[in-house]
Amino acid sequence: MNLEALPWLILFLPLLSATAITLFTMRCRTTSALLSIGAIVTGFVLTLSFIAANGFHPAVMETSANWLSIGNLNIDFGLRLDVLSLMMVLIVTGVGGAIHIYSFGYMSEDRGFSRFFACMSLFTFSMLGIVLANNFIQLFIFWELVGVSSYLLIGFWFEKPSAADAAKKAFITNRLGDFGFLLGIIILWWWTNGSLSFDIAQQQAQAVIKSPYGVTFGDNFWLTIIGLLIFCGAVGKSAQFPLHVWLPDAMEGPTPVSALIHAATMVAAGVYMLCRVILLFNVEASHVIAWVGGFTALLAALIAIQQNDIKRILAYSTLSQLGYMVMAVGLSGPTQAMFHLTTHAFFKALLFLGAGSVIIALHHEQNIWKMGGLRQKMPVTFWTFIIGTLALCGVPPFSGFYSKDSILAQALEQRNYPLFALGVVVAGLTTFYMFRLFYIAFLGERRTGVAPVSHSKEAAQAGDESLRQAGSLSYEPHESPPVMAWPLRTLAVFAVIGGVIGIRGIFDSQFISDTHAERASTFLQKLFEPFAHAPIVAIIGLLAVAAGFIAARMLYRNAESDPLPAKLGWFATAMKNRFYFDEIYEATFIRAHDFIAAVMDWIDRWLVDWAGIGLVRGGTDFTGRALRLMQTGNLQTYAFLFALGVAVVLYLVLGK
Amino acid sequence: MNASLISLEIWVVALGLVLMLADFWMPAERKRFLGYAAAAALAVLLVMNLGHCATGTAFNGMFVQDGLAVFFKCFFIIAAILVLFMAVEFSDNLTAGISEYYSLVVFALSGMLFAASANNFAMLFVSIELITVTFYVLTSFQRGRLVSLEAGVKYLILGALSSAFMVYGIALVWGTTGKLNFNELALVAGQFAGNKIFLLGMVLVLVGLGFKIAAFPFQIWAPDVYQGAPTPTTAFLAVGSKAAGFVLLLRVLFTAIPSVSAHWANPLIIISGITILYGNLCALPQRNLKRLMGYSSIAHAGYLLLGVAALSMNGQAAMLYYLSGYLFTVLGAFTVICLVMRHLDNEDISALAGLHQRSPLLATTLTLAMVSLAGIPPLAGFFGKFLLLKAVLEQGATNPGYYCLAFTALAGVVISLYYYFGVIRAIYWSKDTPVDLSPILLSGPAKVTLAICIAGMFWIGLFPNTMVSLATEAVKTLGI
Repeated sequence: MNLEALPWLILFLPLLSATAITLFTMRCRTTSALLSIGAIVTGFVLTLSFIAANGFHPAVMETSANWLSIGNLNIDFGLRLDVLSLMMVLIVTGVGGAIHIYSFGYMSEDRGFSRFFACMSLFTFSMLGIVLANNFIQLFIFWELVGVSSYLLIGFWFEKPSAADAAKKAFITNRLGDFGFLLGIIILWWWTNGSLSFDIAQQQAQAVIKSPYGVTFGDNFWLTIIGLLIFCGAVGKSAQFPLHVWLPDAMEGPTPVSALIHAATMVAAGVYMLCRVILLFNVEASHVIAWVGGFTALLAALIAIQQNDIKRILAYSTLSQLGYMVMAVGLSGPTQAMFHLTTHAFFKALLFLGAGSVIIALHHEQNIWKMGGLRQKMPVTFWTFIIGTLALCGVPPFSGFYSKDSILAQALEQRNYPLFALGVVVAGLTTFYMFRLFYIAFLGERRTGVAPVSHSKEAAQAGDESLRQAGSLSYEPHESPPVMAWPLRTLAVFAVIGGVIGIRGIFDSQFISDTHAERASTFLQKLFEPFAHAPIVAIIGLLAVAAGFIAARMLYRNAESDPLPAKLGWFATAMKNRFYFDEIYEATFIRAHDFIAAVMDWIDRWLVDWAGIGLVRGGTDFTGRALRLMQTGNLQTYAFLFALGVAVVLYLVLGK
Repeated sequence: MNASLISLEIWVVALGLVLMLADFWMPAERKRFLGYAAAAALAVLLVMNLGHCATGTAFNGMFVQDGLAVFFKCFFIIAAILVLFMAVEFSDNLTAGISEYYSLVVFALSGMLFAASANNFAMLFVSIELITVTFYVLTSFQRGRLVSLEAGVKYLILGALSSAFMVYGIALVWGTTGKLNFNELALVAGQFAGNKIFLLGMVLVLVGLGFKIAAFPFQIWAPDVYQGAPTPTTAFLAVGSKAAGFVLLLRVLFTAIPSVSAHWANPLIIISGITILYGNLCALPQRNLKRLMGYSSIAHAGYLLLGVAALSMNGQAAMLYYLSGYLFTVLGAFTVICLVMRHLDNEDISALAGLHQRSPLLATTLTLAMVSLAGIPPLAGFFGKFLLLKAVLEQGATNPGYYCLAFTALAGVVISLYYYFGVIRAIYWSKDTPVDLSPILLSGPAKVTLAICIAGMFWIGLFPNTMVSLATEAVKTLGI
């Protein structure tokens, strides 16, 4: 098979399956699911075979199809194939594939089963489009498609008002960021004299930054503006402060959706995009990016400490980890960012799927204070969850340790001590809130035998009629079926070994031109690489983890209720209420927005609609009715008008 | 002299005769399926014709086989195939002579094929008359319906009037120049550019062609005839007959008298602009779907004239592109009209109410067709309008009138959104309670027709490159 065609196939298979499901197999549930799973798994296998055949550096880096060429107007649709995009395709199709398979079990009772898989396929298609794009326009189109498909998925249970609101919030918040992003693209287009290809734009930016005569003030100014506006897009998609508010609410979607959005796709898109165009950012822009990332990491970690909903804790943890990645990008460490993105994709998908397993087992119970004692009942979930937790906290030799350590080491190498300290604190906080979750939800006694009525009502609203009936008979937690357990096991394996299988080296070959000969080569060297490379960082990081663990153990082992509010007072309340961001936005932006909307409404209703459109429409309509009178149906009149017409044309042509 | 060039036309005429003769032996209940046989035969001819495209001239230069001719021949054959499918579905409404109907469609097709290759005024007149005379019969084929007869009579009388003008014009041209062949005329036309009698003759010829394409001020017949004629006839009239007018218009303006037509930018701009406005404005208050399509087809004649008025190769290529999208769009729409309204007396829009429940495929096709006619991406109509406007704006530097024309065309598109979406609204959100909600059962071939039309609309709209390069190749032979 022609290797050139493979990437196109990988990209368009999910779209094909989404179309086929929507048009033909809506009523046939299993076929829909198999189509969707088949598309993404085939994509994964094809990517692997492409890499096997071409390596990570294919001879042809870009393949493009001419969509349209008329005269000098050429519009291409191109795919970019290099280490970065190929690895990302592997992550999206690999982790995404595991989540698809898991969904087959998780969603099996849902009425909208086929619709769910159609949306998932559309989502995968959009995400692959972002990953493979070779210019900003194409990227932006798929960027918006991701927005749309996330809207469909978050609001999947649209009968629930909270889900519909969350979908709306996610979409609108993303649009805010995208507005800046689009503005940035337009300014970039102007600045590069009409080129939006990643390659050409980055070459021009580098030529300016590295110019031997120094950067002129004007160019530097525009580069900063462009960098910051493009970063706006990532702030929206990757949920960085101040646009982070949508991500926790997005938990209203089904749990596999949360896993997909949080691990492998949507939020990763922002970080991926930043790494893709990393050479565009000058020092000033990088500085802002690093600090926004660091601040988000700290803020989200603090909020996570006082949440009680298992999915929300994981959501804030995602925010915090994304902050790490963005910080790494700002510290000019795209390798580290992508490395952490990859390992994070493994363990965060694992954690979410584990959480989903628990939620299903407890009949849609999400409050951790009502869980407990799950170890014996759900061994697979328990053990995989603990692996995910250890990886997230950064305990060696789990994958998270290596990637987090590399980011901290990068901060120190750049001599950015404040951000380094911040990173260490966040590492400690991460361990603290994850073990808080773990102690409360999984260990100890079972706190409740009967799920409260409100939650089973929720399940009913979610369309799980049969689940509710089954639930009323027995509330005994049980292990998930194999179709859900196997994705967990697979992801767990990668969460363990992800740090030492050379992922970092692969990314290095993209961003660093001179090959690092001294980089670890044997397995043992890889295992202890952080200690050999920057021992201080590794040790400080481990100390932070240990501190977090001990604190969590002291406070929450066998705890019946949260002791922290009593100790911290108002600060804990603030954390619990997510530092009142939603309320602040409600009081300021949304108020202002409502006021402007009211003014606009008046203008639209009376000036535009009544005076403008009304008069034009009336005039047009009147003309139409008047002209109609010409059409009398009388043949003599017609013949007369015909002859008159001939006379008019003759006058037009000959009359001069 | 190369008679093999007209083998395709000979085959098509022979097919028409065979269909007529088959009427004698075919048992009555099987006659309707002759339509499928005719369509299959045409499909075979289409493939064969695509296989060998010998170019050249025959009959002392009267008949020319070149890129443009081949493009339009493929166009006409595809249109005829789809119309024949539609005619089979419609055959229950024709009390007698169904196989005659098929053979008349095929004869009209042969006229169109000759028109595509006409390179001489005599050939032009004969092929036009072959088309028009056949359509007189096709229009009044439902002899039991008064409106059908009325439409036939109106078409006959006004058609005769326009033919009279045309033949008079040809006589004047011949009288002044002594030439009938387009290529020979082109050599001497420059000398006669100031000769009023020659110009009078040319204008009268163009009047005849303007009647065929229903351009203002010769559009007056279109709504009545479209409304009254049997639906397959209307569809063929809207696509085949109109395209035949356009190919002859291209030949006359750009092969026969390029030196004269170069000065006709202003009249063409005015005619094109008024045609667009007239068609779109008059369509606004219409409630009868076929009449609405009649006005819409006037508006589209105006859009197509944009490509002629641009007097450039890009404009001509854009026109060919637009026609090919228009083919699938309009035939898709008429197939739906034919299937939904075959048992109704008047084709009021309200009959569409609840169509999406009765037959999702029909509703989808009609919706897509309306969206494409309105010119919304990613369907064929959008890209065609884009190319036409682009061609017109490119000429803006030579004549500011082109900017006005582009603006008029845009205004026309805006107006047209209203009535096209009115049709869509009638399907999905009708205020009238639907009288009849019984599902509409579709035959296999009908589904295939609809699928072809949908695929055509999407293919031409999504992958414009192929069709654009085909159209560009085709108009190269005109040499402007």
